[in-house]
Amino acid sequence: MGKNRQYAILADEDLMSLMEGGDAEAFAALYDRHSRAAYSLCYRMMGDRQAAEDLTQDAFLKVWRSAGGYRSERGSVRTWILSIAHNRGIDQLRSMASRRRTQDRVEQSAPRSQPSEAFAETWRNRQREQIREALDTLPPEQLKILELAYFSGYTHVEISSLLDLPLGTVKGRMRLALKKIRSYFDQENVAVPR
Amino acid sequence: MRPMDERSFDDLKDAYVLGALSDEERAAVEAYLAVNPERQAEVDDLSGVASLLALAPPEHDPPADLRRRVMQVVESESARPRAARRSTSSWFGWLGGLRNVALGAAALLVVGLLSWNVLLQEDVRDLRGQVEEARTANEAQETREIELGGTWAEQGARAEVTALKDDRAILVVEDMPSMPEDRTGQVWVIRDENPEPSGLLEPSGNMAATAITTPLEDADAIAVTIEPAGGSEEPTSDPVLVQEL
Repeated sequence: MGKNRQYAILADEDLMSLMEGGDAEAFAALYDRHSRAAYSLCYRMMGDRQAAEDLTQDAFLKVWRSAGGYRSERGSVRTWILSIAHNRGIDQLRSMASRRRTQDRVEQSAPRSQPSEAFAETWRNRQREQIREALDTLPPEQLKILELAYFSGYTHVEISSLLDLPLGTVKGRMRLALKKIRSYFDQENVAVPR
Repeated sequence: MRPMDERSFDDLKDAYVLGALSDEERAAVEAYLAVNPERQAEVDDLSGVASLLALAPPEHDPPADLRRRVMQVVESESARPRAARRSTSSWFGWLGGLRNVALGAAALLVVGLLSWNVLLQEDVRDLRGQVEEARTANEAQETREIELGGTWAEQGARAEVTALKDDRAILVVEDMPSMPEDRTGQVWVIRDENPEPSGLLEPSGNMAATAITTPLEDADAIAVTIEPAGGSEEPTSDPVLVQEL
């Protein structure tokens, strides 16, 4: 079996171990597996193609250089990679001299599943669908706050000011929204994907 | 920064997992978790729910050119020898015995350190230039690069000592976790079980560089601990970065 084919069947955790030893091909296999999800997240956060590419590159280089920092007990490799992209994205959004996160993004609608993607063949896509379904159960005012925090990098204090809501209301909606997402998976008898 | 109480932690934990806290608030939550590790599982659980949001956006294929660019960097870095990673647990245990050493004359050191720091920063700039020059001239084989492991590295920090051929060395830490305002990262060069104070990390954003003021020749290990601002005479905490030499 060729080396590339061997990598294709290795679990993410095994690829991480190889990568920690400096194996670039193991990294390439992980990139091929998770770059679509990471790029999609980066695109959602940054709002344009070039910035999304830069952020994705930055995040994957961080993944490469920090392979030893991954701890399987804290979540899956995919979650770890996406959290790196998310954290770098928040840093970049907050450090922008002139924030592009304008009021119109406040009005931006919730992410919806695209009909063509519904019930896609792979397990990963099924998970995506479940997550989108879970988000669909949220009241719009809770979803908006999650989006402003998670995708646009606003702090709870900034959201309070932006939406002209008491800070306690913002915190309360965050809490309720996370609780409701968890309840969705509990009701469906499905474990929260890691 | 005021220490966080349980009520404040409960109030902020949801915003924390969503990444919706200021840097100061985030540092306070992390400081709370450091002294209340029994709450970590709860935060991990909440983080798991929050992290699902990352999968919600409509999907886009990354351009093929992006893969080429990323792989170009990765392959060039994989060609360089990496410092062996090793378990840091033995160093934690070993240095842990030094925890109770009294701070002694730390206050007296502050005055000296303040003036010394000015010189140190000049040294850092100078050494950074030298490191860059050496790399540019492909003289990497004449320098020694030592990657540090430890809890900061596990949190994503990248710390590397570049030892120059004239026995000077510089430590560069990227993506270092935030520290409380009244704390500083202190470098120690350990020889025959004696840690010698060897520099303070002065962060600029999430990066810091410092000249290592003690020669590394014949040293057993290099470590970084978090100490009261101004530094300590002896380590008062477990290392956050460490590497046996």
